[in-house]
Amino acid sequence: MGFSLRFQLLPVLLLMSVVAPLLGAETTSLRDAIDKELNAAWQKEKVTPAKAADDAAFVRRVYLDLIGSIPSYDEAKKFLDDTAPDKRSKLVKQLLDDQRFGQNQANVWDQVLFGRNPPGSDSVRKRDRFKAWLSAKFNGNVPMDQWVRALLLVEEEGPELFFVQFQNKPEDLTEAFSKAFLGTQVQCARCHDHPYTKLTQRDFYGMTGFFVRLVVLEQGDVTKDGQKFKGFKIGEKSSGEVMFSGNAKEAKAGKKGDPVKPKFLEGAELTEPALPKDFKEPETKTGTKSMNKPLFSRKEQLAAWATAKENPFFAKAAVNRIWGQLMGRGIVHPVDNLGEDNKPSMPALLDEMTKQFIDHQFDVKWLMGEIVSSKAYQLAGDGPGKDAMPKLHERARVRPLTAEELSVSIRIATADPPSEKPQGDTSEYFLRYFGEPTNGLGDFQGSLGEHLFLNNSDNIRKFISRKKGNLADQVISSSEPWEQRIDRMFLSVLTRLPSPVEREKFKAYLTSEAKPEKVVEEAIWVLLNTSEFRFNH
Amino acid sequence: MQGHCTPHEHISRRAMIKGALATTAGAVANFGGLFNSQTIAAEAAKKGKRCILLWMNGGASQIDTFDMKPGRSTAGPFREIKTKLPGYHVCEYLPKMAQLVDKLGIIRSMKTQSPDHPDGIYHMHCCYKQSERTPHPELGAMIAKYLGNADADLPSFVRMGPCGNAGSGYLGPRYEPFSVNRDGKMPSFTSPYGDAKSDERRNDLLRFMEAESAKKSEAEPFESHRVAKERSWRLLRARSLFDTSKDWPAHKDLYGDSEFGRGCFLARKLVEAGVPFVEVGQDNYDSHADNFVCHKANMNLLDPAWSGLLIDLERTGQLDDTLVVWMGEVGRTPTINNRAGRDHYINAWTIVLAGGGIKGGVVYGKSDADGRQVEENPVSEGDLFATIYHTLGMDHRVKHYVGPRPVWATPEGSKPIKELLA
Repeated sequence: MGFSLRFQLLPVLLLMSVVAPLLGAETTSLRDAIDKELNAAWQKEKVTPAKAADDAAFVRRVYLDLIGSIPSYDEAKKFLDDTAPDKRSKLVKQLLDDQRFGQNQANVWDQVLFGRNPPGSDSVRKRDRFKAWLSAKFNGNVPMDQWVRALLLVEEEGPELFFVQFQNKPEDLTEAFSKAFLGTQVQCARCHDHPYTKLTQRDFYGMTGFFVRLVVLEQGDVTKDGQKFKGFKIGEKSSGEVMFSGNAKEAKAGKKGDPVKPKFLEGAELTEPALPKDFKEPETKTGTKSMNKPLFSRKEQLAAWATAKENPFFAKAAVNRIWGQLMGRGIVHPVDNLGEDNKPSMPALLDEMTKQFIDHQFDVKWLMGEIVSSKAYQLAGDGPGKDAMPKLHERARVRPLTAEELSVSIRIATADPPSEKPQGDTSEYFLRYFGEPTNGLGDFQGSLGEHLFLNNSDNIRKFISRKKGNLADQVISSSEPWEQRIDRMFLSVLTRLPSPVEREKFKAYLTSEAKPEKVVEEAIWVLLNTSEFRFNH
Repeated sequence: MQGHCTPHEHISRRAMIKGALATTAGAVANFGGLFNSQTIAAEAAKKGKRCILLWMNGGASQIDTFDMKPGRSTAGPFREIKTKLPGYHVCEYLPKMAQLVDKLGIIRSMKTQSPDHPDGIYHMHCCYKQSERTPHPELGAMIAKYLGNADADLPSFVRMGPCGNAGSGYLGPRYEPFSVNRDGKMPSFTSPYGDAKSDERRNDLLRFMEAESAKKSEAEPFESHRVAKERSWRLLRARSLFDTSKDWPAHKDLYGDSEFGRGCFLARKLVEAGVPFVEVGQDNYDSHADNFVCHKANMNLLDPAWSGLLIDLERTGQLDDTLVVWMGEVGRTPTINNRAGRDHYINAWTIVLAGGGIKGGVVYGKSDADGRQVEENPVSEGDLFATIYHTLGMDHRVKHYVGPRPVWATPEGSKPIKELLA
């Protein structure tokens, strides 16, 4: 039966493979594949999708997602006034080519690779140079397999800090690497075989074998490009093994364990040449600044395996993560847990995206462009349902702005003059009060501190009170009717025009005092404090 | 007694605020269900359990306080005095506490795992080792989550003085501690720069905006944001409670005129107003040198403050519902070092519980003659926390998830100490 069916289908499949390219890229574009799969899922689950997002909702959302900031008043107005039918796709292209695209992606990946409280010395706290390195990769649209390979080889200057945070902790590095790039949580297998999957402790320590020979070489204070910083290089030894002593619960003190051969995750053991007899590892003294290449480099083997087209994890984990970044949740969610115990919501879509991403040579700008051009991404955020991240994406997700997005967006919203010192100590407060607003499971949870800061801090007040050229100043010094000035305030802060009832309410508020200074400041404070401003929706 | 905000008055005041809101904010007064009269009725009906932690930062010496070893080489110079409990003696510098022993559950058999300050402070606040990668919440955050009232004006986890610093861990920012000075001085950003009138009107305009946006979307994050904003406003309205300048003079004889004593008094006021967890730290216990000078000075402050707190809780009718925990991160070595100091010790040390749910006059566990090892009934961090949670009516094995990984409020095998339960 199976045989005959396949036999009958074969000519059709052959025909399709000939015809499809002739039909042009349009019919098989990823954006269409996304909408097709989502439509099918909604029909199957009897879910009604939200209506399409209006231009105002779209422009705010896509600015935040692609360049990490709300649009300025002028940018929003220009887009809303544009009557061209293809203005959305033009905007997407423009934003992907904006220098802020790379900076924003660097901020996103900085959180993946380091988080808010990375381990390791103080030198890991300031990551401007790491972010600059990553930003250049994204702005140059270096294919993802290539920049990840560069990160793992850590031969060019820039990505060292990723390794510095795990100095002498190859197990921690294994966990971080596997989560970030293989979408796999291996930490359970550190102490015991995984209870629900086939992941074993041998797998865990097999992967650790690729990292165990890395050495952090301190370069001391380095001055470059006018910056002074602690420099690092990452060396690799020719010898050294992971010792494995079995289940942690049954571990006995003093038992050293047996050496474990490096083994690719759920794959083969590494074949490597034996070390020459009588090989003696040159001693790496404290203060050593460089070392020779190893006789055989395990990190090169890992970098090649991890980023190969054939790698069973890499491309899938990458598209799932980027999908989650833009659509709120991964097709496998959370995005770093692609284990067999955590099934994808739409497996066919995940496979299709993975395949096309590989076919497009790991082109990140292309992938993000396709996702944000889909109808699914461009659905409205309004509508029924309490879910922050609807499972089938039938409505736009609601995600909190990051501390970085907030600190930039507040300045854009209030038209803070660019001559001012960039963020300065404000960003430190922003990190403290807006850094990690979740309950540990990814659900939003605002802190009391966040609101006390917004309510009572001069760091916020300096943006909302009148200062030459800023929003308050524009509003106060304008001779336009109040309706138009209110429109400007709304468009500046919330990237939309007020409803009639909002316009009326604000007009009454703003004309309640003879001198407008105070009430204008208060009204801007109100707009900045809305939940509408706090989230990307 | 004047100037206290009793639970009853507290509710009335809130009801009054509710009335005021209904007139100024009109149609939006009900958003978030915060001003729903049923909620207020429920709050009034609720008579919750509370916990005050007196934190002995650095680690107090058990042998110089509650587990004295007279006549042994480890004894030190302090003499022992009789207590209300026949045959049980405490240090001569705890005369007031000696008279309250009938209210105390004294654990002389703590055997713990983290011997130093950072790890000990973490461990004794979270009952898990710090080296594990799970961000455990502190005792205060856990109690805030399970005993706190989301609608209360005050934060549910307040601390003063040198305390823990692990925070709310996997429970999230809603349960982060709110830190004030022991004299009631408030943290950053709690003083409005605007006058009350402009603050109130801008808040009303924001409420209007939120009500408008609630018509468009019912997504949870928006609601969570609104609730947190309302909490921040309610805290400002309740901030006068932190000001003890008026009622402190009438209480300083009872608590002793010290910052720590004043912190204990503020803690008493806060639990009365419904805060489920308050931690007050006392510093300078880490006496690697001159242990006896340090401890004598500390006990002179501790004895009146702690006893004053218990007496005051009792006379305001709160002691049955308020558990008072006395502990630090470690005990101190039986051996006296060559600088007349005692170092960190975790093999046999003492923690004292009192009040809510604890059977008084019980001395649990025993150390050996020199105080070097536990001889009877060793108690782990997990057992201690299980006892605390149990007396507060909480499930000591409540389960949360950190990513895919389950984690329990106390480690596997932790058990409440039944001999201490009232």
